[in-house]
Amino acid sequence: MVDSLISIFQRPNFLTFVIIFLWGFYIMVTRYNLVKKLIGMYLVQTSVIFFLVSISAKKGATVPVLLSTTDPVQAANYANPLPHVMTLTAIVVGVATTGVGLALCAAIYRKYGSLDEQEILEKLE
Amino acid sequence: MSQQLPIILFLLPLFAAISMPVVCLRHRHWSHRISVVILALMVLVSIANLYNVIEHGEVRYMFSGWVAPLGIEWVADGLASIVLVLLSVLGFLGAVFAGSTAPKALGGRIVHYYTLILLLISAMVGIVFTRDLFNLFVFLEVAAIASYALIGVAGGRALFAAFRYLVLGTLGASLYLLGVSYLYAVTGTLNMADMADKLPYLISSKAVVGGLLFMFIGLGIKMALVPFHSWMPEAYTYAPSSTTPILASLVTKMALLAWVRIIFWVLSASIAIYDIPILLIVEVIGALAAVIGASLALAQRNIKMIFAYGGISHIGIILIGIGQGNQTGFAGGIFYLLNDAVMQAALFFLAGVAFHHYGVKTIEDMARVGKQAPWLTVSLIIVGLGMIGLPPTGGFFGKWYIILGALDEGNYVSVAAVLLSTLLTLAYFVKLFEGIFRQMSTPSEVKYSEIPFAFKLTLGVTSAAILILGLLSAPIVQLILSQALPPGL
Repeated sequence: MVDSLISIFQRPNFLTFVIIFLWGFYIMVTRYNLVKKLIGMYLVQTSVIFFLVSISAKKGATVPVLLSTTDPVQAANYANPLPHVMTLTAIVVGVATTGVGLALCAAIYRKYGSLDEQEILEKLE
Repeated sequence: MSQQLPIILFLLPLFAAISMPVVCLRHRHWSHRISVVILALMVLVSIANLYNVIEHGEVRYMFSGWVAPLGIEWVADGLASIVLVLLSVLGFLGAVFAGSTAPKALGGRIVHYYTLILLLISAMVGIVFTRDLFNLFVFLEVAAIASYALIGVAGGRALFAAFRYLVLGTLGASLYLLGVSYLYAVTGTLNMADMADKLPYLISSKAVVGGLLFMFIGLGIKMALVPFHSWMPEAYTYAPSSTTPILASLVTKMALLAWVRIIFWVLSASIAIYDIPILLIVEVIGALAAVIGASLALAQRNIKMIFAYGGISHIGIILIGIGQGNQTGFAGGIFYLLNDAVMQAALFFLAGVAFHHYGVKTIEDMARVGKQAPWLTVSLIIVGLGMIGLPPTGGFFGKWYIILGALDEGNYVSVAAVLLSTLLTLAYFVKLFEGIFRQMSTPSEVKYSEIPFAFKLTLGVTSAAILILGLLSAPIVQLILSQALPPGL
């Protein structure tokens, strides 16, 4: 029991990821306000992006531009650019999704005069 | 030139979509013609691409000349090329259909509407061709964002359905991305072929198992697999009639195709995770989806709802075929996928015509106009035969090969699931036909005018395609068997 707890705390980045992910998921499931649901959704997306960044972090490494053209290349000196590129793309995708979501929220508010899921469902009946 | 065909297929709709708002700034009625012309061109290019792949073997396209594991790779193999012909034909018919049914309230925004349709189609081309897991995520999201907007366009209840789809779909996409990053952390690559080389040694790793689980759940949400299907019927019922044929026939099938790619091209058919064969899981999920989807369809009154739940059950039947792990089952599954896409398109064209021209929403309304709507009735009968799976249609041969595959493996549960879902499908179509032919309600007094040419064309072509797929089932299945089989099956 104690061992497994200690092993969890040895990887604080995983722990942070799990907390943010579950927090966002909890908000998405339990809140009735549509904007709050969107916030929860954005937290879920952000937690995955955080995970991607955290697994690619490297101590003492620099940007992947060769320091010298004559010395043999030491891969350990450079950070891997691919996860960061993926992160950027995922952020763009997330922003686009949130934008569409907010536009839908605005249209729903104009149509039903409310953002509360239960009130809207009552009006739909 | 023939090496460039895959990228041309992608760029045609993409460039048309991007230039549409500029070109149609003054002449908004051009937008419909431009998209029809572009999609007709796409049909020709996709047929040329299929011919080229059959004659000269698969085409590998490296972006910017970066060789495979480093750069993004697209491969036009047999499976992708066959599916692409289907995609462009259905996209073309969908655009023709949209001309007469696009929401009147849109006004000047009609240009953006066609932009979104073209964007959706180009994203689906990307999903079909790509062999890079992250690239797949990007295209899934582009397709999904375009679909959220296309569903929400109708206003009213569609807004709420689109919002639910958005929240669930984004959760699915996040889970898929999480799975991809797990696999990337373990293998250090995103290319499917490269990962397939590295995974067999790592399959017992918890990170790989977790990553695969997240990816499958994420894609399961996207393809409306049974426990995660709740967004789909509402979204497709309240979406504008002009877009549902494209959405219902293609978007979920493309997510399914991505699943097939990952199972057979990244993993391999014989792989077992903790002693559970992965194909067994696919098959069981498929059987559940086939039966549960069809039972839910039986409980509906709204015709679009019936068709949407029917689509859910057919996803299950395709998965049963894929999950058999032999050539007959796989070919049957893919053949059924083609059929199902055509049938879903036909069903939603039908529902669109019924709603737009005759104002029909439920089974009772259908009875009112039955006599006055010969095109509607005849195509409904043909699609009904296809959905149930009676001999002259493609649906029968798809199920036939799936059952043959299951019998080869001795999977009697799968056979039972296919038959049970067929019976349930029969039941809900009997309900529809009974509504039309029994004449319980008094026929409508209103005289309806002749339906427009676009409606006749789309209904005629899809109904004919269902019959033609049935008549040509042997050569098409042969083509799948010779060109589209995954490695190691």
